[in-house]
Amino acid sequence: MKRTITRVLLFSLLATLPCGALAQQPRSDNPTETLIRNATVLTITHGTLLNTDLLIRKGKIAGIGKDLKAPANARVIDATGKYLMPGIIDCHSHSMLDTINEGTLAVTSMVRTRDVLNPTDVDLYRELAGGVTTLNLLHGSANPIGGLNTVVKIKYGRPADEFIFPGAMPGIKFALGENVKQSSNPNLPGTTRRYPRTRMGVEEVIRDSFTRARDYKKTWDEYNAASKRGEKNLVPPRRDLQLEPLVEVLEGKRYVHAHSYRADEILMLINIADEFGFKVKTFQHVLEGYKVAKEIAQHGAGGSTFADFWGYKIEAYDAIPYNTAIMARAGVVSSVNSDSDERARRLNIEAAKAMRYGDLSEAEALKLITINPAIQLGIQDRVGSIEIGKDADLAIWNGHPFSVYARVDTTFVDGDILFDRDKDLAARAELAKERAQLEQAEPNRPSAGGRPPQAPRGRRPSDRDDDMWEGDQP
Amino acid sequence: MLAGVFFPAVRNQIQEWNWILTMPRIRSFAALLVLFTLLLSITTSVTAQRSGIDTYAITNAKIVTVSGSVIEHGTIVIRYGLIAAVGERVSAPADARVIDGTGLTVYPGLFDANTNLGLAAPSPAPTPGPGGGGGFLQAQLRAAGPASGPNSTQPPGLQPEVMAEDSIKPGGPEVEAARNAGITTALSAPRTGIWMGQSALINLAGESPQQMIVKSPVAMHVGFSPLRTGSYPGSLMGVFSSLRQMLLDAQQYQKAQEAYERSPRGMRRPELDRSLAALIPVLAGKLPVVLYADRQREIERALDLAQEFKLHAIIAGGVEAATVAERLRERDVPVLLSLNFPRRTTAAAPEADPETMRTLRGRVEAQKTAAKLAAAKVRFAFQSAGLTNMADVRGNIAKAIENGLSREDALRALTIRPAEIFGVADRLGTIEVGKIANLTVTRGDIFDRTTRVTNVFIDGRPVDLRPATPATSASPGASPSGPHADEARPNFGGTWVISLNINGQTLPGTLVLRQDGAAISGSIQTQIGTSEFSGGTVTGNAFHVVFGANIQGRPVDLTIDASIQGDDMNGTVQSVFGTATLTGSRQP
Repeated sequence: MKRTITRVLLFSLLATLPCGALAQQPRSDNPTETLIRNATVLTITHGTLLNTDLLIRKGKIAGIGKDLKAPANARVIDATGKYLMPGIIDCHSHSMLDTINEGTLAVTSMVRTRDVLNPTDVDLYRELAGGVTTLNLLHGSANPIGGLNTVVKIKYGRPADEFIFPGAMPGIKFALGENVKQSSNPNLPGTTRRYPRTRMGVEEVIRDSFTRARDYKKTWDEYNAASKRGEKNLVPPRRDLQLEPLVEVLEGKRYVHAHSYRADEILMLINIADEFGFKVKTFQHVLEGYKVAKEIAQHGAGGSTFADFWGYKIEAYDAIPYNTAIMARAGVVSSVNSDSDERARRLNIEAAKAMRYGDLSEAEALKLITINPAIQLGIQDRVGSIEIGKDADLAIWNGHPFSVYARVDTTFVDGDILFDRDKDLAARAELAKERAQLEQAEPNRPSAGGRPPQAPRGRRPSDRDDDMWEGDQP
Repeated sequence: MLAGVFFPAVRNQIQEWNWILTMPRIRSFAALLVLFTLLLSITTSVTAQRSGIDTYAITNAKIVTVSGSVIEHGTIVIRYGLIAAVGERVSAPADARVIDGTGLTVYPGLFDANTNLGLAAPSPAPTPGPGGGGGFLQAQLRAAGPASGPNSTQPPGLQPEVMAEDSIKPGGPEVEAARNAGITTALSAPRTGIWMGQSALINLAGESPQQMIVKSPVAMHVGFSPLRTGSYPGSLMGVFSSLRQMLLDAQQYQKAQEAYERSPRGMRRPELDRSLAALIPVLAGKLPVVLYADRQREIERALDLAQEFKLHAIIAGGVEAATVAERLRERDVPVLLSLNFPRRTTAAAPEADPETMRTLRGRVEAQKTAAKLAAAKVRFAFQSAGLTNMADVRGNIAKAIENGLSREDALRALTIRPAEIFGVADRLGTIEVGKIANLTVTRGDIFDRTTRVTNVFIDGRPVDLRPATPATSASPGASPSGPHADEARPNFGGTWVISLNINGQTLPGTLVLRQDGAAISGSIQTQIGTSEFSGGTVTGNAFHVVFGANIQGRPVDLTIDASIQGDDMNGTVQSVFGTATLTGSRQP
């Protein structure tokens, strides 16, 4: 009897839980259940399913199959003749960052991209329109050890803290080569140039930082031990925000994403990692990765590269478009990324190029922008493929995403529609009207004299990697 | 002894008593009594010397007390700098100087909740000697950098120990302009920096800084703009990290000092650090932190930081504060709301991109912020936020009222709210007996555009109100030297092909100038990069502009001074890197 009561109590408790969740998000335009009918489903991990339905419930993929029943009140979308694929994951982005580089020092592991997120950046919306739902927001490449990254879901329209990808492994940006040694900066008279100036110096800076991090950890370990022994009047050591993330790297609690080009510097970082006993999670750009693909695979690192973007500086001269395919065939978990707010809108085409150069299969090429970057970010249990129980981060395409004619009709993040092409088109007339009214409004009317209006937001140039752009200074 | 400094006669007398006191035999109670009486009489004579009259009465006026209901016909008596009596049945004492308040309205003295009043403006960068170079870098950092504390462990801009109190000077045209607008009290904070320093609340009258200061320190001020010297932090990310690191360091500093105090034996003496010591009251929540944040995400970031370290936060600026109203109310974070509403002041250049919808909407929304904050029960006080023309301040309050703010709430935001936020509601902010007699007297309702401020009392004394100087009151279009002067000015506008010479190296580039009367804006492009600038000024055939640019990934201030002859340009570009000579010719 007692047991039954407990069960009833438990059950009623459980029953109230989802209602609470519902009450938190009363979003009439985004019901909790959506049925997408009759799509060609690119599951990534389980092949392509023709004429298949997919059910979304409470932000998760709840059903995949033929003739699924639409629950009452569910939103039903007919996707006949359309393709459904997981949201694209961009493993190298600087969207929504108000500033990208803290370039004053060679080691800036204390700075956090999390502190400068701009959830209203319109690039996010454009990326949703390109079927992208997850971004790895990285610090720039101004220094050997850069700032901490942030993995986000593009929850455009929501506050910044809702963007943070729950449970994603924290990471840090490293960088090697020309950007770091500032070899292309003009040498202005009267300036002191920042150390390091050579690849030798870059290696020394990284080794020195990890040596300091090891000492720092030891200091704290000793303090903690002494405090456990009950020693009196102890003063805790200084907390050092620069070294704390490096200790986390040494302990395997933080991923290293290393901007790199040349084969020699890639091997150099692998050696340092082996020496200090940590793993490099991804080499970013990694244009000469094809030369050392075996070594990268052996280390267990991933490679996140450009499809066919090269020659923009000396260290990018040896790039070949077969890089992605060669690395993938050698067993490197490979992805293609954008490093550009513009290229991020067409990552589908970037992935398709790997079929043309290097003969990857369609399935292999699709992985370059879905499950592979998910693995590189440690979020493969949540996103990157269409499987029951995974997050409903999806995009409906009006053609095969590898066609240059394909475009996105609808993008879902956690089951909510955050981009809808029809709605966007319908809203344009209304927006134009509002603009006309606002431009006529009293506070906007220019008077004679005074300051000219603010210059339009500077765009990050997309013809180079993340070397020098500073972001919008607020 | 202060009196002694100012009045030599008094000092002499004091010296005489010293002589009496030092005489060993005079010890009797009677002698002391005599002395005491003497002292009293001297003190009274000092007061009389300083003020002449110290009792005033404003009769027959409408009195808006803010604390209670409005008195339609009443009298206020001011004595010894305080409000001695207020009410309908109060009559003016015989010794009072009486001001007939018929047709006048008396308000509590108005606050400007965040200013640099009384603080010297940063001196312009000195002209560099021939060659420029490293010496110039030092000179410029000294001249243009933020206020610096002596023997600090931190670079300028990261020195929380800097106190406004130490650099406040009485008088000046800005103070006078504020008083003319009816402002009697202002929070005055250092101008620049990340840890900008500590502010003081000052009354805008008095012969010495000591007389002006009502409370100091009031709050720690935090701006989020990166250092422009090329050192860390040079980005917004770095700013947050350095703030965080210094707060952590201050926590550790406090623990180390406490441990040393408990038992110094056998413990290495922790170094003294004024910068970190200044943060201890901040961490204890005793000294509030004024965080400069206008946009929604800036406010959210500031609140995140405050929550992380349990700081007593105040938001300054708050243009988009209405979007964060709920969180501000929950955390009881007040806002020093900017009256410097964003606006478009000139027509955009024809080639400019259209403004974003966000910008356009933002201008309209900014005027509604005050009303929305009032509705959401977020406490806020108004600040002029760099508006130098006080007519604009009044005009913008009127706009906030047109957009739904009640007159009562608007008045509170200028009186009792700032007094509460700064912890002086027991002595300022309302018309109540015993409070400091700061009063603003107007003919007509204070928020009507045509209303004139007729009298201002600060610390119980009337302030001379002078008519506003033409420079602050006249709009540019209506200035007497308007159109004609424009014609006399040479035309700088156009695209200039320029060449910069830096210690023998030549750097080619393009300079685009747009001229609007005496104002100049444009852009400069070289292989180092492109920078937009605005806010330049034209004098004769020369122009001067200071702006921020990114060079080698560092934010750097550049100063261009150049003059033209026809289509030829000659001048200099100064930065921390040194001085470059500039020559250019206009593209046809």
